[in-house]
Amino acid sequence: MKITQQSTESTLTLSLDGELDASSSVLLDTELSKPEILNNQKVLIDCRQLNYISSAGLGVFISHLQTFQDAGVKLVFFNMQDKVHNVFEILGLDSLMTIVPSEVEAVAV
Amino acid sequence: MSFFRKLHSFLVPFSLLSWLGLLACTLLYAHPSLAPSIGTPPGWLLLVLQAVFTACIFIQERGTEERLRGLDFVGLIRRLVLGPGLLATVCVGLHLVQQLVQTKLPETGSVLFTCIYTINVGLFVVLLARTNYAWRSLVLFRSSARLRRLWLWFEVLLGITLLFRLFTWTPPFGLSTALLGALAAFGAYISGQQKWVAYLNRRQKIEVILLQLAIILAMAVFVAYFLQTKSDPQLIAPATQHAFLLLNAFFAGFYAVIGLLVTFFNLPTAGVFEQKREEILSLQRLTQLIQRGQNTEEVYRMFFDSAIQTVEADAAWLDVEEAGESHPGQYYTLQPEQAKTMRNLLIDYNLNHIEYLNNDLFNSSGFRALNLPFGSLIVMPLRSSKRQYGNLYMLKEIPQGFDRESLSILQTFASQAVLSIENLQLIQASLHTQRVQDELKIASAVQDSLIPKNLPIDNWFEISSHALAATEVGGDFYDFLHLPGRRLAVLIGDVSGKGVTAAFHVAQMKGIFHALMQENPLARNEREKFPVPSKFMAQANTALARCLEKAAFITASLYIIDYEHGGFVFARAGHCHTLYYHSIKEEVSYFRTAGLGLGIIRHDGYEKHIKNQFYDYNPGDVMVIYTDGIVEARNGAQDEYGEERLQQMLERTYYLDAEQIKEQILADLNEFSKGQPIHDDQTLLVIKFKASQPEGSL
Repeated sequence: MKITQQSTESTLTLSLDGELDASSSVLLDTELSKPEILNNQKVLIDCRQLNYISSAGLGVFISHLQTFQDAGVKLVFFNMQDKVHNVFEILGLDSLMTIVPSEVEAVAV
Repeated sequence: MSFFRKLHSFLVPFSLLSWLGLLACTLLYAHPSLAPSIGTPPGWLLLVLQAVFTACIFIQERGTEERLRGLDFVGLIRRLVLGPGLLATVCVGLHLVQQLVQTKLPETGSVLFTCIYTINVGLFVVLLARTNYAWRSLVLFRSSARLRRLWLWFEVLLGITLLFRLFTWTPPFGLSTALLGALAAFGAYISGQQKWVAYLNRRQKIEVILLQLAIILAMAVFVAYFLQTKSDPQLIAPATQHAFLLLNAFFAGFYAVIGLLVTFFNLPTAGVFEQKREEILSLQRLTQLIQRGQNTEEVYRMFFDSAIQTVEADAAWLDVEEAGESHPGQYYTLQPEQAKTMRNLLIDYNLNHIEYLNNDLFNSSGFRALNLPFGSLIVMPLRSSKRQYGNLYMLKEIPQGFDRESLSILQTFASQAVLSIENLQLIQASLHTQRVQDELKIASAVQDSLIPKNLPIDNWFEISSHALAATEVGGDFYDFLHLPGRRLAVLIGDVSGKGVTAAFHVAQMKGIFHALMQENPLARNEREKFPVPSKFMAQANTALARCLEKAAFITASLYIIDYEHGGFVFARAGHCHTLYYHSIKEEVSYFRTAGLGLGIIRHDGYEKHIKNQFYDYNPGDVMVIYTDGIVEARNGAQDEYGEERLQQMLERTYYLDAEQIKEQILADLNEFSKGQPIHDDQTLLVIKFKASQPEGSL
């Protein structure tokens, strides 16, 4: 798992590369737990290279969901592969989280 | 061999007899008037008796067991001194008594003199034999085979000299001297073998020097005595086995002198040997500590003390860097503040984590500024390939106080200490692992008891189940509960995460299931007596909200099958879709309904995210419910098994029994993921609804 960051004035984009399982979700949790992340208006998660997400990986997003909402930070997923999207959908997360097809739409949200 | 042993037991009486014979002969020689009938004994008899006596004593000494016990060189020489030393005193005492008696009773002089002389000859022979065989033990100490052969030759040659006087043939003067000279040279060469001296420490060396002086003194007393009596007009006895005794005395004395010199000149190096020995002992102590498996604290203390002792440091301190643990530094004749200033200086020099030897601190401006009375410093890091454990600092007041040797012995100590510490950590880790495994075993047993052992049996349906955990304890669960009115509640679910926490949540979830599926006495009608699946999920979500940790969630599906009316209602809380075979439409499809997992949102809003779905089933319909471990199982190419393949399997097997359908699916799954480790728990339930009618009794 590799996480690359790209930051503009009010938007932080995290690109996830690889498999988000129990061990790599710790990395992601560390990134999302940083207090300065709440200074952004939007946190975009680029899932183009994300091949697999385990329940531990989902748990990381779930655990930060409330904090982000309370702080008014939008969490947007884009470029999600079908396989991964299916996991979000089965769990019902697609009704809670913003998942858009492309970066253009993610920026526009 | 037995002959020699027999001979040996006769040696003492033989030597006594021959000595008495010698005494008698000497007396007759001196005073033929004592037994006029016998007359003066022949000279050769005297020599033969002397030779027999000497040979007996020497052979007896040769045959006694090894005198050297282990490395007890000092004891060997001490015993030698106490024996011959006393003999020398006796000899001198006798001589004095004789001189005294002679002045009082001059007429007895000659007889007494002869007696005492003969006694002294005997004593001298004993002393020589003892000394020579004691030296033999020292010479042959860890010797080569060659040296042993040489010693044997030496003995044989000495024995031959004993025969010299027995023959009337007198070798030409030059030859005799040459032979004696050659033998003396041989003896001198053998005297050079003083290996044993190296094994003595300083105190022992001093003692050995004193003891050897005593031996030389004893020899000197005898030699002086014989020299004096030789020219005494009162001595009428024939000459003794001159050459043999002389050679032996020469060898015994010479070996003692050489030994003395060697020991004496080895005195200055005794310190070095002792230090080396101390180093080895310190290392041994450190090694033993590992085996005894004591705590790290003790290893550090042992390491610190051994290091100080070995390099003889004037001051030292040890910094230990422990993750999360605070270790008070150890100081030896040094104030913590002084150590701190030096440490800071070294950090400035960026020398904190490398081996560092500075023998000239007075010329280093930084150290001079600290104004400390130290001239030399060694910094020895304690590190393994994985991490740094700390630093050892050794100080000496003099400049040039440490050498490369000190550095290398400290390196050995440091690596030994690190080895002990890592060993201890490994032991602790393995104990911890053992404990965790034991706990897992218990959790696994508890969880095993949570899986229903008896599947519901009825004429209306068939159920077949399969459960396989990826680790000792899994997060999958399923359960059945009979409700009144021919209804059956089926719960299946999956707790995020694995291990003991997951098992704990499984138990909670089952508790919630059994608690909520109780008849409500206040219900107005039959339908409201038990919560519908969506209501159940909402209540479960509320219950879990308080006890589930933030990142954890649970997916579950609850089916309430009413087999009297041939229908079921279910709700899916984020769990895998239900795979279904419609016998009327003859098609296999998934019930794709919405539904959020439990514990994802933890407020009243949850109920909006969950739906009930009602369905009337027909005989022959098959329902396959499972956890994600089934569809996410992977093959060698990391492809997932997937919903589609599962669907195809049911399309091929729907007409079989529930048990056979399950077996076929599992066989296909195992074929697919052959050789791959299962990375998630797998649970599979197959329910087949049947056409048969309930029996009359039901």
